[in-house]
Amino acid sequence: MELQIEDIANVRLIHIEGRIDHTTVQSFQDLLLPKLTDCTGETKKALLDLSGVSYMISGGWRVLVLAVRQCQRQQGEMVLAALSPFLQKIYPMTHFDTVFKVFATIPAALEHLSPTAASLYSGAE
Amino acid sequence: MSPMTTITLPARIDSLPRGLALVVECATAAGFLPQRVMEIELAVEEALANICLYAYPESRGEVEVRCMQGETRHFSIELIDSGIPFDMLARPAPDFTVDAAQRPIGGLGIPLIRALMDNATYHREGAQNILRLTALLPL
Repeated sequence: MELQIEDIANVRLIHIEGRIDHTTVQSFQDLLLPKLTDCTGETKKALLDLSGVSYMISGGWRVLVLAVRQCQRQQGEMVLAALSPFLQKIYPMTHFDTVFKVFATIPAALEHLSPTAASLYSGAE
Repeated sequence: MSPMTTITLPARIDSLPRGLALVVECATAAGFLPQRVMEIELAVEEALANICLYAYPESRGEVEVRCMQGETRHFSIELIDSGIPFDMLARPAPDFTVDAAQRPIGGLGIPLIRALMDNATYHREGAQNILRLTALLPL
């Protein structure tokens, strides 16, 4: 399980890659939450790219809930995007649709978070 | 329904990879597509973790993972332990009508097991807990 960070204007794009199971879920939490401490207000919004998450246990969703609550406490915003086929199947079973904002693609999430970041991202592609 | 394969492991979280490897192997051999194999693996991982965490509160014990295939389309995983009577399926589901942001975190494992498997049953037989998770093979 790996995290890659990309700051685009006022958006922190966090790519998550790999399997989140009982052997990796604690390191997922330990890696992710510190990356969100400066995601406050308008200055830094968080976007989690889940396209590389091939498998995730309920404990992984728990970490995502902790993450979104942490951002909310800081008056920040965190959204999810590009759920892998596995996560697309599981997500409706979690009944978390009122907790997370989920976007089909990274550009769609960027459009929502920050037009500036969206234009920079499409320019880079 | 006859057992295809079985493995007995210490009921500890670090046993999960070995138990799950067997489940993946058997589900693949039974003819499930890769995505469905992962869904079965997830349901079994949630259930096995619960057994490892709760079946033996005061002692150490074992859990048996048994893969079974019937003559019909039924593919089942039985998880058998000799711990305290423990029906994880009887645990109340989280109250999904409460706004999830206010809901306590956790408790998602059992609803996932129910949603992912075609059937889930528990019974106590002698001193054993027997949890059976069944998935139907595609037609």
